Amino acid sequence: MKDLHIAAMTLTCAAGSGLDALRASLRDGKSGLRRNDYPNCELDTWIGRVEGVENVTLEGDLARFQCRNNQLAALALDQDGFRTQAAALLERHRPERIACIVGTSTAGISSTEQAFRELDGAGKFRPEHVMPWVHTPHTSAAYVAAALGLEGPVQTVSTACSSSAKVFATAARLIESGWADAAVVGGVDSLCLSVLYGFHSLELVSSDPCRPFDRARRGLNLGEAAGFAIVEPRPQASLGRLLGWGETSDAHHMASPHPEGAGAIAAMRLALERAGLAPGDVDYVNCHGTATPMNDRIETAALKTVFESPPPASSTKAWTGHTLGAAGITEAVFSLLSLGDGFLPASLNCQDPEPDAADFILRAGRRQKVDAVMSNSFGFGGSNCTLIMGAA
Amino acid sequence: MNARLRILGSGLSAPGLPDIDALAAVLAGGELGEEKPGSGSISLLSPRERRRCPETVRLSMAAAEQACRAAGIDPAQPDAVFTSGMGDLAISDYMCRTLAETPELLSPMRFHNSVHNAAAGYWSIGAGACGDVTALSGASDSLVTGLIEAAGRVAADRRPVLLVVYDTVADGPMRAVWSARHPFACAFVLGVADDAEAAIELHAQEGLRQDDCPPLPAALAERSADNPAARALHLLTLSLDRAHGPLRLAASQGPGLQIEPAA
Repeated sequence: MKDLHIAAMTLTCAAGSGLDALRASLRDGKSGLRRNDYPNCELDTWIGRVEGVENVTLEGDLARFQCRNNQLAALALDQDGFRTQAAALLERHRPERIACIVGTSTAGISSTEQAFRELDGAGKFRPEHVMPWVHTPHTSAAYVAAALGLEGPVQTVSTACSSSAKVFATAARLIESGWADAAVVGGVDSLCLSVLYGFHSLELVSSDPCRPFDRARRGLNLGEAAGFAIVEPRPQASLGRLLGWGETSDAHHMASPHPEGAGAIAAMRLALERAGLAPGDVDYVNCHGTATPMNDRIETAALKTVFESPPPASSTKAWTGHTLGAAGITEAVFSLLSLGDGFLPASLNCQDPEPDAADFILRAGRRQKVDAVMSNSFGFGGSNCTLIMGAA
Repeated sequence: MNARLRILGSGLSAPGLPDIDALAAVLAGGELGEEKPGSGSISLLSPRERRRCPETVRLSMAAAEQACRAAGIDPAQPDAVFTSGMGDLAISDYMCRTLAETPELLSPMRFHNSVHNAAAGYWSIGAGACGDVTALSGASDSLVTGLIEAAGRVAADRRPVLLVVYDTVADGPMRAVWSARHPFACAFVLGVADDAEAAIELHAQEGLRQDDCPPLPAALAERSADNPAARALHLLTLSLDRAHGPLRLAASQGPGLQIEPAA
C-alpha cells in the first residue's frame, strides 16, 4: 500500500465553519445544536443546522447544481483556503489524474421534496424544479468536480452513515490501482424532511440535545455538514497519514446493527490489520456514538472486544448532530485535528456514562499527544467503515 | 490508464430479458418481449422477503445471483459494488409525496428502504456477504463509475468483485428528470486476468462524451438508449463474443472507457 497523506482539509457543520472555529468549539464545549427550526417541520427535537446555507447562490455553469446540499458544499469549499489548495493540487497533477469522491446519503432530496410540494395542476414538476443535476444521489460529487475543475473519475458513495468514511478507502484504491494520482474526497449531507421525519418514524430522534454514551440518552439529533480532504501520496505538506481502513457488512438487518456488533468488530480489526498496528497502538477513538440506546451499547461492546482496554474515546455528535452521509468526513477531520493539535474532544453531554463505557469515554477534553487515531462510521444496510489515521 | 479484467460470470434482469440466455436469443435474431422478470429466480430471499422488498432489490438481486452462479462463486464471498444513477425512484416518489401531504404518517420501513444502499444491504443480508458491499452513483455515468471502481478493486485486492448495475423507471413527476421507460439490472463477477485467459481491457478515454459502440439489434439498441444502465448490454454482448469492435462508453464528467477483448 502506498503511503497516503492528507494534504489539506476543511469542515463546515453546526459547530463551526472552518477549522479554527471548530477548534474553538471543541475546546470550549460549545455545541452547535439548536431547537428545531427547519422549515415545514414541526418535530420537537434539536438539530445541527449550519447558518447561512440558504443565502448561497451557485453562479454561471454551476447554477444547474443549485440545492441545499451543494450550497452547503460551496460554503465548505470557501473555508480554510480549500479552493486554493485544490488549485495548487491541479498544479502538481494533471486534472484528469485527480479523482473526486464524495459521500452523501440524501444528496439533493430537500429540493425534490420541495418540487413535490409545488407540483403543477397536472401533478408534474414546475419548470423551475426540472433540474436533472439536482434530483440525483450524484449531485454533490458532480458539483464538486465541476466547481474545482477535477477531470479524473467522479464517484458518489452512498451507503448511508458510512458514506464519507468510505471515500478515503475508495481514493486509496483508485490511487493504488493507477486510476488516479491524487483525490479530493469529502462528504455532504444537508437537513431535509426525509431524515427528520424518517428517523422520527423509527423512534430514534431525541427531543433533547443528544447525549452519546450517557445512561439517560434518548436518541439522536440530526445535523448537516460538508467537509473535504485532499488525499495524495507525496504532498508538499501533510496533516496526517491514512494508515488503514476496514469496510464490512453486518449481513443482518436494514436498520438495526448486528446485536453483537460483528460487522463493527470486523471493520476495526481489518483497519488495524491494514495499518499494521496492534490495538494497543491506537491512542484515541472517535466513535460513531449516535446516542441511540442501541448503537452506543453495541459500539461499547465492540470496542471492548477489539481493545482489551479501549483507549480514550468520544462521540462528537453532540456538537454537530448526526450528519449521516457527512458523518465520516466530519469525524475524520476531528480525528485529524486531534493528531495535529494534541487535543482529544470530550463526549459532550455525557454526564453519567454507561458503566461499561465509563473507563474510556472522555467526559472532558484532554490535552494528549496522539500518534494513531481511529474513527468509526456505521450505517443502515449494515454498512461499516473504520478509518485509522496517523501523525504526518 | 489501462486495466485488464476477466469476466467470470454475468447476469441480467430486465423486461423480456430475464437472463443471459434470453439476451443470446435476441442477439441470434429472436424477438425482445416486454414481460417483467419475476422474482421467482431469487433464492437468497425468503418468499416473504421477496414480497416485501423494493423493486430495485428484486431486480438487482436476480442479476447478481445469476452472475455468481455463472462464475461458480459463493455469493457470500466477493466484495460487491452496486451502482445506480437514481436508486429507488418508487420509494423517492412515496417519500416526497408523503412528506408533502402527511409527514407524520411516513412508513419507517419505507424510510429505511429509501437509502441508496438498500439493494446492496438486502444483497448482503440475503447472500450472507460480510465483506464490503458498497453503493455508488454516477448519475447517467453510473455504469462507467462502477466499472472503474470494480477494476480498481480487482487490481488492488487481487480477488473477484461482484459489480451490479441497475436503474429503474420514474412513474411520477420524476419522469421529467429521468425518462427511462424500462428498468434494467445486470451483474458481472470480475476477476484477475491471467495472461492465458480470455480477458477484456479497459482504457480510460479522456473527454469521451458520446458513446461509440458496435451496433446492436434494433430492440436492444432502443433499450440501451432508453436507460443509462442498459448501456451495459454492449458489454454483455462483448462478453458473449458477439460484439464486433471495441465499445466506447462515454461519461459526462471524468474519463469514459474504451473496452475491448484483450489482445
